Amino acid sequence: MVGFIKKVIFLLTMAGGLYLTYYSVENLQNIFIETSNIFIRFGVILIFIFTMLIITRYLLLMFFSILQVVKRSADEDFRTSKKDIVSIIVPCYNEQDVIVHSLKSIIAQTYPNIEILVVDDGSSDRTYELAKTFTFDNGHRSLQVLSKPNGGKSRALNFAIKRAKGNLICCVDADSKLDKFAVELLVQHFKDPQIAAVAGSVSVVNTDTFLTKLQSLEYIQGLNMVKNGQSYLKLVNIIPGPLGMFRKEAMQEVGGYSHDTFAEDCDLTLSLIAKGYKIDFEPDAIAHTEAPENLLDLLKQRYRWTRGILQAIKKNKQYLWNPRTKPSISFVMWYMLFESVFWPFMQIWGDLFMIYLALSTGTSQLLLFWWIMFTVLDVAGAIYCLLITKEKLSLAAYSTIYRLAFITVINIAKIFATIEEWFNIEMSWGKLERKGRIG
Amino acid sequence: MNLLSFLSFLILAITLLTMVFGVIAYFLYKAREKKKGAAKITYDEALELEERELLFFTKE
Repeated sequence: MVGFIKKVIFLLTMAGGLYLTYYSVENLQNIFIETSNIFIRFGVILIFIFTMLIITRYLLLMFFSILQVVKRSADEDFRTSKKDIVSIIVPCYNEQDVIVHSLKSIIAQTYPNIEILVVDDGSSDRTYELAKTFTFDNGHRSLQVLSKPNGGKSRALNFAIKRAKGNLICCVDADSKLDKFAVELLVQHFKDPQIAAVAGSVSVVNTDTFLTKLQSLEYIQGLNMVKNGQSYLKLVNIIPGPLGMFRKEAMQEVGGYSHDTFAEDCDLTLSLIAKGYKIDFEPDAIAHTEAPENLLDLLKQRYRWTRGILQAIKKNKQYLWNPRTKPSISFVMWYMLFESVFWPFMQIWGDLFMIYLALSTGTSQLLLFWWIMFTVLDVAGAIYCLLITKEKLSLAAYSTIYRLAFITVINIAKIFATIEEWFNIEMSWGKLERKGRIG
Repeated sequence: MNLLSFLSFLILAITLLTMVFGVIAYFLYKAREKKKGAAKITYDEALELEERELLFFTKE
């Protein structure tokens, strides 16, 4: 009964969002007819195009996500071959606060044939010593700690891939804690020979502050609506750092992780899609990770992600203009460009335009309706995602603040990151400080 | 002032303040990173950066 009520709430919110969209568009039409100012007319057209694109994105992703959920529940063949050796690679650099919890969760995996390779990338703390205490080898399972001079995450991953015995490679961040069925669930997707990689799901473990609650909601929506929708087309665009599994052969075919972008996971995924491989998503294989607890750390993370994604797009830009010969990669790259560049710019431009409109014509109601429309759609999306993940429905209430303040601040950082990437301003990798909350 | 006008004004004010806050937060982040980067530089790196044989420090 409760489930039914939740579904009704979701449908009503969705209907409300669509009605408000209609109302906002009607408002835009009236402004367009009544004004003779060319700038305002041009702005209204842009806002209209942007609104339509966003609504289409919401509806398509939700539609594909629902199809994927139905398809997954209809698939009764859950038997997995447990013969494949899975090499789990954990690159680490100064991870003494989290490495123990991470390794314990990897050793507790239900999948029998695993080889764990911890790569200490020149840590200056006790990471190596702590990891070394877990070393074992019982024939089916083993854990080795490798050490190398500091050279970055991508080099550490490639270093271990060369030494891995498994034909499946599972890459795990040292600050993540895996659910015990994670590896077993990821392996089942590789029955399809076209699948080159499977993305795991990421859950925020430190949801005790307002900022981390907003990020938790963002992750839940991003995974269950965006990644789930993309997985229906088998075109997931980024394998997240905390958990992802790859077919070793495919990885070697594209040359492994590259060192020339700040988003090596995105770059690798794009290379695999360009080769014609499929990329899937497993929502029940969960890695629990810490989200940044203060705003400046969060901005640092998003700045790095944005520039990394743009570098990966820039590196593979030849595929953008090849929709006929390489439709999959072209589509994925345009989608990424839309999410990381077009959307932030349009949202901030839209807000500025509406402020200008309010100050020059006194019609500030349009901004209110625009905000309500997006917020209602966000709430509907959040309710849908919380329904399928069985997370607390109360998180959906955070969608109001998410749209009003959170996403604006993040988008401003994304815009600055885009401008700096455009002008090739130097950036460094840096490292987010971990508080050891995954324990 | 009716409710709709009040809410419109409220959203307008919050949007403006959030944008100003977002820009300030971004520059605070950049300033913090610059400070961190400057603090972590080694003598050898500083030498290389300045392209000199020796570096002289002044006491404040």
